[in-house]
Amino acid sequence: MLIVLSHPRSIGTTVTKRALITGITGQDGSYLAELLLDKGYEVFGLIRRAATPSTERIDHILDRITLCVGEMTDQTSLIDAMDTSRADEVYNLAAQSFVADSWTVPLSTGDVDGLGVARLLEAVRRVNPDARFYQAATSEMYGKVHEVPQTETTPFHPRSPYGVAKVYGYFITLNYRESYNLHASNGILFNHESPRRGLEFVTRKITDHVARIKLGQITELRLGNLDSKRDWGFAGDYVEGMWRILQHDQPGDYVLATGETHTVQEFVAEAFARVGLDWQEFVTVDPRLVRPAEVELLLGDPAKAKRELGWEPKVTFQGLVDMMVDADMERVAQEVAFRNAAQ
Amino acid sequence: MTQRALITGVGGQDGTYLTHLLLEKGYEVWGVPGPYPGLFDSLLAQNPGRVFSLDADMKDMASLIAAVEAARPDEVYNFAAQSSVGVSWTDALATTEVNAVGVLRLLEALRELAPEARFFQAASAEMFGNAAEMPQREITPLHPRSPYAASKTYAFHIVGSYRDSYQMYASNGIMFNHESPLRGLQFVTRKVTDGAARIKLGLADELRLGNLDAKRDWGFAGDYVEAMWLMLQQDAPDDYVVASGEVHTVRELCEAAFSRLDLDYERYVKVDPRFFRPIDVNIFYGDPSKARRVLGWEPKVAFRELVQMMVDADMERLSEPSSPTK
Repeated sequence: MLIVLSHPRSIGTTVTKRALITGITGQDGSYLAELLLDKGYEVFGLIRRAATPSTERIDHILDRITLCVGEMTDQTSLIDAMDTSRADEVYNLAAQSFVADSWTVPLSTGDVDGLGVARLLEAVRRVNPDARFYQAATSEMYGKVHEVPQTETTPFHPRSPYGVAKVYGYFITLNYRESYNLHASNGILFNHESPRRGLEFVTRKITDHVARIKLGQITELRLGNLDSKRDWGFAGDYVEGMWRILQHDQPGDYVLATGETHTVQEFVAEAFARVGLDWQEFVTVDPRLVRPAEVELLLGDPAKAKRELGWEPKVTFQGLVDMMVDADMERVAQEVAFRNAAQ
Repeated sequence: MTQRALITGVGGQDGTYLTHLLLEKGYEVWGVPGPYPGLFDSLLAQNPGRVFSLDADMKDMASLIAAVEAARPDEVYNFAAQSSVGVSWTDALATTEVNAVGVLRLLEALRELAPEARFFQAASAEMFGNAAEMPQREITPLHPRSPYAASKTYAFHIVGSYRDSYQMYASNGIMFNHESPLRGLQFVTRKVTDGAARIKLGLADELRLGNLDAKRDWGFAGDYVEAMWLMLQQDAPDDYVVASGEVHTVRELCEAAFSRLDLDYERYVKVDPRFFRPIDVNIFYGDPSKARRVLGWEPKVAFRELVQMMVDADMERLSEPSSPTK
């Protein structure tokens, strides 16, 4: 009996799956990389060349993953990343992801978040059209919402250059699925947070400030609209939803959300309560922090994901806030200890 | 004071009709012909001091800034586009660079240098794709089915976003098919009127077409550019469907064209399955009632008249002694 040795990974009872993650240094990329490593995948990540790469979210797994240098604005680098990784699954999480900055840098937001998706799909189509493709779509596409809650069939009405670029990314993913029969899917993700969320996002800004106030570093937290409502879930749960989307026989589009909303004020109250403080003594409303065009009530209906993928978020709102506050308390306490030791 | 208009893609059908309209209204026209100058060179030569040509590229931010600086426009009409749905499959990235990000570049140039200028974006009925309702209105959900349509959807949304965020006077005209003797020969209307004229003149003996039952909402480009101009004369910017509000089949188009020449289309038109589109389930049928109500716009040229105008123009062109026969 002839044993073909040219593809050593096919020897044995299981074939190792290979995944390419763009945006691997971000919150979702790092959680997804951990999840896929746990499942036995070989994980490749696209990373931008930089003198000092910001790998703090993946430092603990750097020895178990392979990084490919590339950019969403550079077609050749994406083809190379597909060649190098020979990926079976591609997760496109790379984006200029902060809505407010998209008014400041609208062109590069369009180039990366919009056109970048088309470039990556082209690379997939050319190198391995059998690879499965996940596009990180977003609830910001609903913008000026046409119905509450939002489902996979709710019309889009984006209100920011970020939302506009993401709508393009969504439709071009759909086009490549319909026209080239790629297994290409969109996850329409509502806000998802974690201790690894960037400090520019309101949830992380709150939990970071709560820890600093509790530890006597600062005395005030300035926020925009406290009545803004969001559907907040835990990023760790959401990356599992992404993975499930690509395990489904048929590609499709899925809302991933908790189905609950909470106000910024509820988030603030829970975060301060976690450390035994009353938020009203510390929070100041600053009109300068209100967005040029605020989105309305973003509330997702995850029924399709539950029905077809068996996906459900596990971490509750309170569990999420407490997890984030606890992590920031630990981090800020360490910072204070280092500073005191250095003095 | 003389109004100044900047028109990108000025060499195309719509740019040519709009230039004529604006010159009649006393505008100064600053045109960006791009790679396809069409009839713009002759308009330029015939109207010294009133028509000006600018070099700019929708892919090049610096060139757009320079064009806005030179034109100092009161009104901007953006027609520049890679306009073929078919080509958008083979060239998705370049299509998006021009049709989507190009619009954003132009808006950014205006925001910096001419934030008071009024902006018209040529949006497309293709954005409706697999339309959720009939006929399609301004609030019909978009479902683009090609890279071309996805790029136009991006532009449509970014125009709305700049209007909301920066209070710019920026409007989208959601344009349904509009035809004229200047329509390109690759479009079915021109293919039919040109084919009928050739048969009449003995230059051809048949016309091969795809699905004769395909339906479209066809209007006259000269009427449609008037709607665009009206959109920029309102108190507030908004989005409007510009359509005839009628649908006709390709078969009706053939009947109208051949009967203009006293011919029976059934003798000459051959159905060729090679011209069937892979997916041709989309019926683009627009409801222009908002444009009628708010703009007071009314298309003047009816379907039959439009077809006859195009047939007559093709007959004249092909009958000229110097005319190319191929």
